[in-house]
This record gives sequence, structure tokens and C-alpha cells, in this order.
Amino acid sequence: MTSVTLNPADFTRRSPVYRELRDAGARFVESFGGAIAEDFMESAEAEAKSAAGLALADLSLLPHFGFKGRETVDWLRSQGVDVGDQDNVAYRQEDGVLAAKLAPREVLLIADIVGRSDLCARLADSASIEEEVEAFPVPRGDGYFWFLVLGESAPAMFAKICGVDLRSSSFGELEIAQTSVARMNVVIVRCDLGETPAYHVLGDVASASYLWACLLDAMEEFDGRLIGHGAIRHLAGL
Amino acid sequence: MKIIHCPLNGPRNISEFVYGGEVVDMPDPASASDAEWADHVFLENNTRGVVREWWLHVATAYWFIAERDTANEEIVRTYPSSDIFKERVTFAAPDEEQGTS
Amino acid sequence: MTGRNRLSAPAGKLIDRDQPLTFKFEGQLIDGYAGDTIASALAANDVWVLSRSFKYRRPRGALTMAGQDANTLVQLPGRPNVPADLEPISDGLDASGQNYEGSLTRDRGVWIGWLHRFLPVGFYYKAFYKPRGAWKFWAPFIRAKAGLGRVSEDAPHGYYDKEYRFADVAVVGGGPAGLSAALTAADAGADVILIDENPQLGGALNYARFDAAGAVAGQECERLVNAVLSHNNIDVMSSTVANGWFADNFLSLIRGNRMFKLRAKEVVLATGAMEQPAVFRNNDLPRVMMGSAAQRFIHLYGVCPGTRAIVLAANDDAYGVALDLADAGIDIVVIADLRERPDAGPLSAAVQEKGWRIETGCTVSEALAGEGSRSVQGAVLSRIDGKGIAGGGETLTCDLICMSVGYAPVGQLPCHDGGQLRLDPVSSTFVLENLPDHGHAAGSVSGTHSLDAVVAEGARAGWRAARASGFDVGDEPEVPDARGAEGCNHNWPIFPHVNGKDFVDFDEDLQVQDILNACADGYDDIELVKRYSTVGMGPSQGRHSALNTVRLVTDATGRSLDEAKPTTVRPPYTAETFGVLAGRVFEPVRYTPMHHRHLEAGAQMMVAGPWMRPAYYGAPDVRDQAIRDEVAAVRIGVGVLDVSTLGGIEIRGPDAAEFLNRMYTFAYARQPVGRSRYLMMCDETGAIVDDGVTCRFHERHFYVTTTSSGASNVYREMLWWNAQWRLATDISDVTNAYAAVSLAGPQTRKVLDQLTEDIDLSLEAFPYMDVRTGHVAGIPARLLRIGFVGELGFEIHVPSSQGEALWDALMSAGEQFDIRPFGLEAQRVLRLEKGHVIIGQDTDGLTFPAEANMTWAISRKKPFFVGGRANQVHESRPLLRKLVGFAIDDPKAPVPEECHLTLQGNDIVGRVTSAARSEALGRIIGLAYVAPSQAETGATFPIKIGTNRFLEATVVPVPFYDPDNMRQEM
Repeated sequence: MTSVTLNPADFTRRSPVYRELRDAGARFVESFGGAIAEDFMESAEAEAKSAAGLALADLSLLPHFGFKGRETVDWLRSQGVDVGDQDNVAYRQEDGVLAAKLAPREVLLIADIVGRSDLCARLADSASIEEEVEAFPVPRGDGYFWFLVLGESAPAMFAKICGVDLRSSSFGELEIAQTSVARMNVVIVRCDLGETPAYHVLGDVASASYLWACLLDAMEEFDGRLIGHGAIRHLAGL
Repeated sequence: MKIIHCPLNGPRNISEFVYGGEVVDMPDPASASDAEWADHVFLENNTRGVVREWWLHVATAYWFIAERDTANEEIVRTYPSSDIFKERVTFAAPDEEQGTS
Repeated sequence: MTGRNRLSAPAGKLIDRDQPLTFKFEGQLIDGYAGDTIASALAANDVWVLSRSFKYRRPRGALTMAGQDANTLVQLPGRPNVPADLEPISDGLDASGQNYEGSLTRDRGVWIGWLHRFLPVGFYYKAFYKPRGAWKFWAPFIRAKAGLGRVSEDAPHGYYDKEYRFADVAVVGGGPAGLSAALTAADAGADVILIDENPQLGGALNYARFDAAGAVAGQECERLVNAVLSHNNIDVMSSTVANGWFADNFLSLIRGNRMFKLRAKEVVLATGAMEQPAVFRNNDLPRVMMGSAAQRFIHLYGVCPGTRAIVLAANDDAYGVALDLADAGIDIVVIADLRERPDAGPLSAAVQEKGWRIETGCTVSEALAGEGSRSVQGAVLSRIDGKGIAGGGETLTCDLICMSVGYAPVGQLPCHDGGQLRLDPVSSTFVLENLPDHGHAAGSVSGTHSLDAVVAEGARAGWRAARASGFDVGDEPEVPDARGAEGCNHNWPIFPHVNGKDFVDFDEDLQVQDILNACADGYDDIELVKRYSTVGMGPSQGRHSALNTVRLVTDATGRSLDEAKPTTVRPPYTAETFGVLAGRVFEPVRYTPMHHRHLEAGAQMMVAGPWMRPAYYGAPDVRDQAIRDEVAAVRIGVGVLDVSTLGGIEIRGPDAAEFLNRMYTFAYARQPVGRSRYLMMCDETGAIVDDGVTCRFHERHFYVTTTSSGASNVYREMLWWNAQWRLATDISDVTNAYAAVSLAGPQTRKVLDQLTEDIDLSLEAFPYMDVRTGHVAGIPARLLRIGFVGELGFEIHVPSSQGEALWDALMSAGEQFDIRPFGLEAQRVLRLEKGHVIIGQDTDGLTFPAEANMTWAISRKKPFFVGGRANQVHESRPLLRKLVGFAIDDPKAPVPEECHLTLQGNDIVGRVTSAARSEALGRIIGLAYVAPSQAETGATFPIKIGTNRFLEATVVPVPFYDPDNMRQEM
């Protein structure tokens, strides 16, 4: 572990909460055209361990991308993406990408946790308006922040800011809830990291700072903390 | 707080939804009289009994139809708007110059 | 041992004798134990007066020991009206009584009690309605006397929050019925939440006596509570009050500073019953209390409530009280049984053997006050001689009177969602009807009192609730026929006294005659009696007064008992603080990606719809100069405005142009690719609701901008219409995906030239109203050659994650041209000089295009667009007002404000919508609605700017500035 860090403002792509991460003592490394929080000056293992209770991470710079239009599902299937018929379910691709089916005509692709897959980029490039296909790219990578809430206490924490029952007994792996959290509209996708319950939270990037503060406030009672990408890779066994 | 069964998202608190008015047929703008149009635009039927209403699930911007009994507030059933709006609606073009391409 | 009235263990199961605590009451140090309430610790130290009454300032003490009366409301620092019989003591707690001047025991305001004859119910209505203004004069004096505790204006803000909970079965009430219900439901597999307002489970099993030996309650309590606490499927929420039951089994629960919003598939109501008082003279004296209150003192807190007791009885439980009192070492002076021939119950049978004096057909007709009314000192025992009439009398000495004459169910909660209480003439108590769907009642709330039946009924309710929520196990538990439902309540425990002070409602100091007077004044409905007399309107909301009030009103009005009901029950069940209702403040705020850059540049931010936007850059004391400088920078050099807040919607697909044709007033089918076009949206009434610009990037692709505040509504409207039209188009809201700036001013091109390689910015290659895609500072961008401020300008839209980087690049490239960020205030001036309207500022909810001179933006050749038909109607009628540009040349005139009225003669014809002093033009300019006959250029009209203050404005053509639009097309 090194203590060398980068300045997120030296990159053109910046997370909507880079100041919050910086002020919390994040060590940044370059990734996805910007600076991501690798750790908070602790080893990945130590941070991962603390995530068993409750933790929050920012994945906003990782690839996430939407498609909309009435031929969306058929077109994605033709491109080799496995998308089922059921709405509000995330379909896991072989390379770890999640195809979150938000509506009959809308799919949100979110990268595998370390962003190795080029699927998002490849699909975004091929979905050109020149093709007469009604599957239109939607730049959710810019429109949506992407937070990850992890840990056993996550459902109890969410219960303070969200009216949907997110306990494991009611909200299973790869289920999606599109609902209101702290009165803002978000997409919640459950996709556990190994044994650790994990909830991807995506929503309006303009309110990222607002929700970040709400989450930290709600997490306090459970001793929740921030973790970096290193800990997430560790939890995912990568 | 009431629960509404959203056809897309399942049962949710009514606070996640916005009411969108009764489902009404729009008179033909080409043939309706001024009075008929004013009636359409300004007057509500305010029926007692089961009415079809538009509801929006805000988080997903999803419009659907709810059949609600206005006498006791019971929501009888909900379904996608495509169940009743099945066809592409066209309006007669008054002249060829600006017809739909 | 602290306190001379303290009993030894096992009495006092809630207190921990190993943990002594000291607190203050009325400035005196008081000892107690952990587990004590304020009231119990005081009683242990022989302090019985807790507060004074609301109206007559009578000394009051514990009545129910269950928080069901206002007698025990005390003041804590910063917290008024705290129920002393529920509030636990802690070291350093500082409590005092309420409603007195001077001292609690010697109130200077007690004289008001002597005036009671002159303060009949309705007194204020009758006394102060005339002359006009009388109430205004008297109200401050009356209000100073009325009311309860004192709110502290500098109490610190607490941390309050809310939490959702979910359960298959929610059980409200942790007494024998609730415990049994929870166990049965949980055994069936249901996920159960058990709620009880007390810190301990067990309910009446903790203090009531169910058998002569007094053993059964403890055994049952231990069995049930241990089973519940060790059950994995049961989540116990104690010290939690269920305060509301709303549609679809949504319960509001309050514990400390947190409100829980519980959604349960099924609800079991096991809230029990409240003992009800008898009515006789001085029934409000300290140490006249419910039998169950005495039992609570003894069993929960180990406090002996007296030495010589009279028990006023009307059911078998009263004899259990007598046995408990005797066990605590209290002499039983007499048991006065209201009944002529009491039924032989197991407890009364046990009492018979004791040889105590029992008088049947007797009542206490008057309690006698000791010194300063600080405690009861005796009672008059009288024979009942007809309904509510007690004659003769024998004076007895006592220091405790226990009333056990009946119960009322704690049935308030289901009444929040359609339930109804009704007086049942047979049992003479309220019965609960019309339970909400998926609700079940068990135990004494449904009138069942014998313990085995209560437990069995709980089990049955739990089983039914579990089955209804999807857990079907075994056969339905049986409930014995003998429920002990009859014989608990006496039907008329009311003995009015010629000298009054026979209280029906202790909270509101209402006596029998007050209720009868209300009826006599013509208020013959229980709801009207309540409003007129205020009965049931105190803190305990009729919990100890409703039953006797209904009896009195029914009797006085000669109504049938079958239609007797208490007043409508509304949430909350018990008092809740505003902090609990407020919780955390969740108000999403939207920041643009450049937000921090604005702050760093000294911007004063303003709320604009959901957004925070810069108003101007600079300190508030140089506001006007800052705005002038920003305006000048745009007119002379180059300025940059953050317009990320504009809505952005992608319209794509074969029907994209047709869709826009229907949503907006202009024509879009033939809009060339690479061009932009103005957008105006009307609603179905023809009123203008939004505007923006559409950029055609492809035959099948339009990028539409909306106003900052209109974005989400426009998006919703679009989806709603297309749900009906079913056009082949996709509508995607990408507002938050794009950051955008408006770069404007004569130097704009020089700044942008440094940052673009793949876009030719020259006038020939990129004319006004064209759009391009390319890169700015290496960032993929959409460029729109448009301008709201009337100078050469570009809007640059880039991915929001790179918005701050774009801003940084522009500021750096513009440095040599003195680029200046400008805020909304400068933009308002700049656009006003160009005469551009702002939808929602220069239009209102009724403005249609012809009024705002916007008919140029309407295509007449389309078969349909939203608002088109309505505008045909509007345009077929004479205009009533018109939006005009005006100027005021008087250099000393003040700038009129928005909404100053415009006049024609004495008639109001419109209002100013925008106005500013234009430095570029050297005059005041503005927009205003005037009468059509005043709208000709050169016409004048008055603007009313104050009382008898007018400005003369002259109608001038717009744009005010650069009328030929030369500058923006440079």
C-alpha cells in the first residue's frame, strides 16, 4: 500500500462526489479516465473486513449505460446480451456485467465490479442512430451516480430512508427496486459480493452529494464507513 | 398509507405515485364545437363508483391505469395503459404540405 | 430503602433496588430507584400532588398510573406536559408541576375554583362575543391562565428520524392476549412484530389479580414472556406506542425520537382495556384512583398507596384490588359495592372469608379533602337510592379510595381506519365494530376478561392472522364460551352532587352539570357536546371520560342506547412531538457539476426549482454593481453562464418529428438536420407551459431542451401523451447526463476557437441557429449556436462528468479576454433587453400565445397539437390583455417591481412581469400586461407602485436592444 494519491480535478472525468471522497481521506488512483478512490489509507483486506457490517463506496466512474426503445431487448439479445422477459430483474452476463431490465423497453447495463468488460463501450458504439433499430443509447454513465452499499446492516440502514423492504427475505439476489430513497428516485440492484450483501444504488447525478450525505447520516447508527475499490475487488475475490 | 399495485413495480406506497386524472376520450378536434372542447378541457366527470384513472409511478416515470372506486377509495385493479391504448393514433391532415412524413 | 411508602420485594417488579437515583421535583431532592416513574418515586416519598388542574387549579395526583389522564402532566426543562406516571426518573432529572402560580401546594390562582359557578360550560362563547373586540381584549389574560406546560423556545434541536418496518403479523399490545397471539402466529412461521408501550411485556399480568392466591398472573406472565422473548420469529418492540392505524395496515409507532412506519399484512389488536372512574364529589382528589392504579403502584413500583382504603366496587376485580391492598398492609375500611346483589366471583368469595366490611347497594358519594386538598382524608358512604342518587351518609376516615367500576376497551387505534366504538347496553361498555380489513382483536379490547379466554382468544387471533398472511398450520384454536364479558361494568357509576366537583373529565375540569348544561343549551349530539364543552378534548382524548359522557348525554337527551357512540376517534392515539413527525429533512437538492466552481468564484447561490444556481458573483453588499459588471462583460467581452439545469430530452425513432409536431406549437417535420428551432408548449387549455429549443441531429433524432423548472413535467406529459398516441418514438430524459454552459459576448469565438479542433466556428460554416457535434477541450460536445442574451453565443452541452473540466477549460482559455461568469440576475437583465419572455415569469397559468405575441411560433398547418384547438377558440374572441414592452425615461423613477398593477382609468388591466434599469439603453425597461387598446407603440399607461403612487410607462417595440438582432448573428 502506498500513500501516493492523485488529484481528481486533474482529470476531465470526475465523480460527482470526488470532493466528499477526498475530504474523507481517499487515496485516488487512475482508472476509467478519472481518479477513483482506491482505499482510505487502509489495506484492502482491512476495509473489506469492516464492510461486513456496513460500508459505502462510490463507483460512479465505472461504466454504466442504458438502452431504451421498443426493440431494445431484441437488439441486445442479437448482440449476445442475455436479457430475460421479467422486468425489475438484473441478468448477469458471463463477464460479470449486469443487464438490469428496468422496463419492457429499457435496460441498464452496469459493469462488472472491476470494470474489466468492454461490453458497455462496445454496445454504445454499435447502437448508432444510423442503424434503423429502435434501441437507443442513454448516457446513464453521466446521468446516474453509482454507489455501492454493502454489509449485513444495509437493509436496516435503508429502512430509515426507503419504503421498500430490502431485507434478504423479501429482496433477493439480482432483484431490482426502482423507488424513492430519501425522497429521490433511484434504482437499487442487489448483487452480493461473495458472502457480503451488496446493493447498487444509481440515481440522478445532480443529487449525488445530497444522497451521499443522507446515506452517511443513516449509516452512522450502524458504524458504517467508506471503503475503496481495493476492498471491493477483495470482496469480489478479484 | 395506501398501497397501489404498480403493473411494473408491484405493490408500493401511494406516496411513490402521482395521480394523472380520469381516462377520457378526447373529442375529434376537427369536428368538436367550441363548447364541446371547453367541456373536455375544463370539466371533470366526478363520477361516484369505479372510474378509470391515470397514475404515474414517479421513480420509473411509468404511466398506467387504475380502476378506483371513488365511493370507498378501493383500487379495484391496475394494468398497463397499452391494454386500452392499442393502436397508433393519427389525426387527419388538413392539407398535404405539413402532413406527417 | 428510599421512601417511607416503599414496600419490600417482591412488590415492585420494575424497580431495581440496587440502583438508587436522585432527581428533583419542585426543587426538592427526591430519591428513587431505576425503573421508577416520576409519579411512583414521588408517591414512595409521600408526595401525591403532581400538578394542578387545567381550569380550577385543583391539586391532582395519579389517577390511572397508565398515562391515561392529564393529572400527572409535569414540566421538564424544555419539555412540557410529560406524563409523570410514565416518564422514568434519572439522576439529575428536574421536574416540576404545572398550572400554578407561587408553589404547587399553595397556588395563588386557586381562587378561580371559587368562581366555578360563574364559569359554566360555554362561558367564553357567551361572555366575550360582544361587544365587538371584547375577545381581543380578554384573550391575553385568559390565555395566560389557560394551557398546560411551558414550551421552551431555546430547547436544543434533537436528532429525530424515521424507519420503515415490515411484518407478516403485527401484534399491538403485549398483555396475555398479545403474547399469546404473537406466539401462535410465530409458531406458524409468520414474521411477527410485537409492540407494547410499556418497558416490560405482560400487560395486566404484571399487576392485576386473577385468582384468590394471586399466583396465576405471575406464572402466566413468566411462561408467555419467556416464550416470546426466546422466539426467533418475534421482534419485540417495547416502550413503543402504536399511534396510528392507516390504510392497508400502515401503523405509525413511536419509540423515543424515532417514528417507525410499520406495514403489516395482518394486525392483531390486543391493546386491552382501561379502567373507568366513578363520578362523585371530589373524585379528583389525590389518592382517589383506579383500583388498577393502586395495583400498579404496589406490584410495579413497590409503593404502598395508603394506609386506610375504601374500595368502590362494581365487579369482581375490585375484590382483587382489596386483596392486593390488604397484602400490602393497608386496612380495608369498607368495600362499597354499587351492585345490590353482587355476582359471586372467585375474588369476592375470597374476600368474604376475610370478614371485611362490605356494603352492597352503596357508593362513595363524596370524598373529603385533607389539608390543602393534598390528599383524600375521608369519604361519605351513601346508599344508592335510584339511578345515580345516593342518600343519607356515613362519614368514614381513609387516605385512599380505589375505584373499580368498569372498563372501556382501548379501541382507538382501529377507529383510525374505519373501526367504530358503540355503547353496548347489555355490557354497558364500548364494543368495537368494523375492524379494518386484515385486523383481528383479542382479549379485553374485545370485552373478554377471564384470563384463560383471553389467552385462548389471543391464540385464535394469532392463528387467523398467520393463516391470512400465508401460514396455515393446524386447526383453529378454540375459545371457551365463558369470556367474562358480562358483569365488569356498572351501567351508572355516576352520582352528581348538589355542590358539584363531581368530575367527568379530569383533563378539562368538566363536571356532571357541565355536560348536562351543554345538552340543555341545545347541543344534543355527542359531537356537539364535545365541541361546546370541550369534553374529551384534553390530552387524554376522552380515554377516561368518553364512557361516562356518552352515558350522560344519552340519558339527558332521551336517546336510545343502541345509537350511543363516542365521538369520532382520530389519530394520533397519544401526544407526539413535532420532531417525531418531522424526522430527518429529506429535500433533494440538485447541484450542477460546476457548483463548487461557482462557490469558489464567490457566487451567491439561489434556489431555482430543485436546483441551486448562481444569482451573481460577489458579496451581497456589492450586488447591484456585480450584476452591472456581469451584464457589461457579456455586452462588451465574453461571459459564461451555467445552464446545466436546462431540461434535456432525447426524442428518437421514426415518429420523432411527428411527436414533436403534436407536443409543440411549431412545425418540425421539415426542420433540417443540423439546425435548431424554437419550441413552445401549450397545455390543453391553450396556455403556454414551457419553451426551449430542439436540435435535429438526425432524421430520427431530436435533442430537446426545456426550461429548468419544467423538465420533469414536460417529460411526464410527453410520456402520458405517447401512452395514448403510441407513436414509434422513444422519449428519454437526459437532463442529468449533460452539463451545459452558455458562452456569450463579442469575444466568444476567440475563446472557443482555442478549444475546438473538429468544429469550424466561423459565421459561414456555423450560422445562427445551427447545431454541431464535436469536441471542446477534448470533451465530446453538442454545440448550439443560439443566444438568449442577444450576443454572439454558443450553448455547449457536454457529459456531466466532464462539466467541471469544461468550465475549467473555458475559464482558462477566456482569461486573456477577461471572461466573466454571470448569474441569473444578469441573465434576466440581458434577456429583458432583448424582450425574450421567461415562461412562468412573463406568462402565467392562463397566458395563451396571442396574449404574449407568440403566435409566430404556432404552425397553422398541422392537424393537431396540444392546445391547438383551445387556441383556435381563444383567437376567435377579443383579446382581454396583451404583453407589451414598456420604457420609463424619468431618471429619478424607481424601477417598478414584478406584479405592480397596470391600470386603465381606475380599472386594473394587468401587471408588470419584468422590469430592470438597462445600462445599455439608459432607461428603465420592462414587460407588462395592458389592455389591448393600450398596446400600440407610443401609448402610455400608469403603473401603480404604491398607495397613490404611479409611474407613467410608454409602450415601446421589442427587442429594446439591438432590434435587428445584428449582434447575435455576427
